[in-house]
Amino acid sequence: MSDDYLRKPFSIAPSPTVDDPQTATTNYTPATSTFSSAPVSPYLNYDSRFLQQAQPEFIFPEGANKQRGRFELAFSQIGSSVMIGGGIGGLAGVYNGFKATNALNQTGKLRRTQLINHIMKQGSGTANTLGTLAVLYSACGVLLQYARDQDDNVNTIIAGSATGLLYKSTAGLRKCALGGAIGLGISSLYCLYLLSQENNNTNSSPKFL
Amino acid sequence: MEEYAREPCPYRIVDDCGGAFAMGCIGGGVFQAIKGFRNAPSGFSRRMIGSMAAIKTRSPVIAGNFAVWGGMFSTIDCTLVHFRKKEDPWNSIISGAATGGILAARNGVPAMAGSAIIGGVLLALIEGVGILFTRISAEQFKNPSPPTEDPSALADPANSFSFGPTKNNQYQ
Repeated sequence: MSDDYLRKPFSIAPSPTVDDPQTATTNYTPATSTFSSAPVSPYLNYDSRFLQQAQPEFIFPEGANKQRGRFELAFSQIGSSVMIGGGIGGLAGVYNGFKATNALNQTGKLRRTQLINHIMKQGSGTANTLGTLAVLYSACGVLLQYARDQDDNVNTIIAGSATGLLYKSTAGLRKCALGGAIGLGISSLYCLYLLSQENNNTNSSPKFL
Repeated sequence: MEEYAREPCPYRIVDDCGGAFAMGCIGGGVFQAIKGFRNAPSGFSRRMIGSMAAIKTRSPVIAGNFAVWGGMFSTIDCTLVHFRKKEDPWNSIISGAATGGILAARNGVPAMAGSAIIGGVLLALIEGVGILFTRISAEQFKNPSPPTEDPSALADPANSFSFGPTKNNQYQ
């Protein structure tokens, strides 16, 4: 038997055909036909289902965060809110400009200039408002992240309420409280949406907190 | 600021727009606070109220102007990168001049030319200072120069140095 074993080509797993040819041929036919007789690397004899394929695999340098912090996202958030505000305000300006020029029967050059004026004015106004809100929110969020040393949904809610309070802080107590309540409402709705997304990712049945 | 790196090109527009808006909002807020404080009627509380009112009315406008400048500049910069297939100081200078010109388009051709020149010169100054700083900071990472291998720097081969009493009289 030992001589027989030596005459075989080397393989990592002892080939089952040596010990008992009959059971081996009945049970292990696909295995023997593919793997056992040829010298195969042990790493190839591995079930590929154990390899992670669904999740993305990243290598993070030591000491780096897994997520991007609020400061890195702040500028793009501010920029996108400014641009969205400009777009919405510009569209509203087109609408209002057409309405005003039609009402006053303005045509030609006058109408064109009036339309541009409306678009510029409304667009910049909305963009400035939204951008200022985004700056306040980002500043509060970044400060909270540094103060609490973590980045979670609590930060989002506190920053949203603080934004509302700050933006309306000079308009009287009632309006200030109203602004804070609106900020709190929007940020908590956003957090609920985020939480439901997370639950959907982990297990398909929706959970309610 | 150490964790801030620039985004790749199409997203850089949004990023620059936001950065410019934040800069204008905060910087303009400080500027308008001082201005409102100085221009308000006397009395500390009135001065604070004036400063607050100036911040509220003026700083979003300044921030908006900054944001438009930054977004337009970045858009033209990315367009130039796309068409010229390279990123160099000329991109910034050209896009600064073009931004200045485009944003003054409603004020007539002379105003456009003036704004374009101002934008181009400003961006050229910024790029020049950047290059200068790069040169200065590169100086201290320079390797020490290798020892000279110029044969003329060595001793004259005719009177070769040797130990012993025979050539001793040359040095006396």
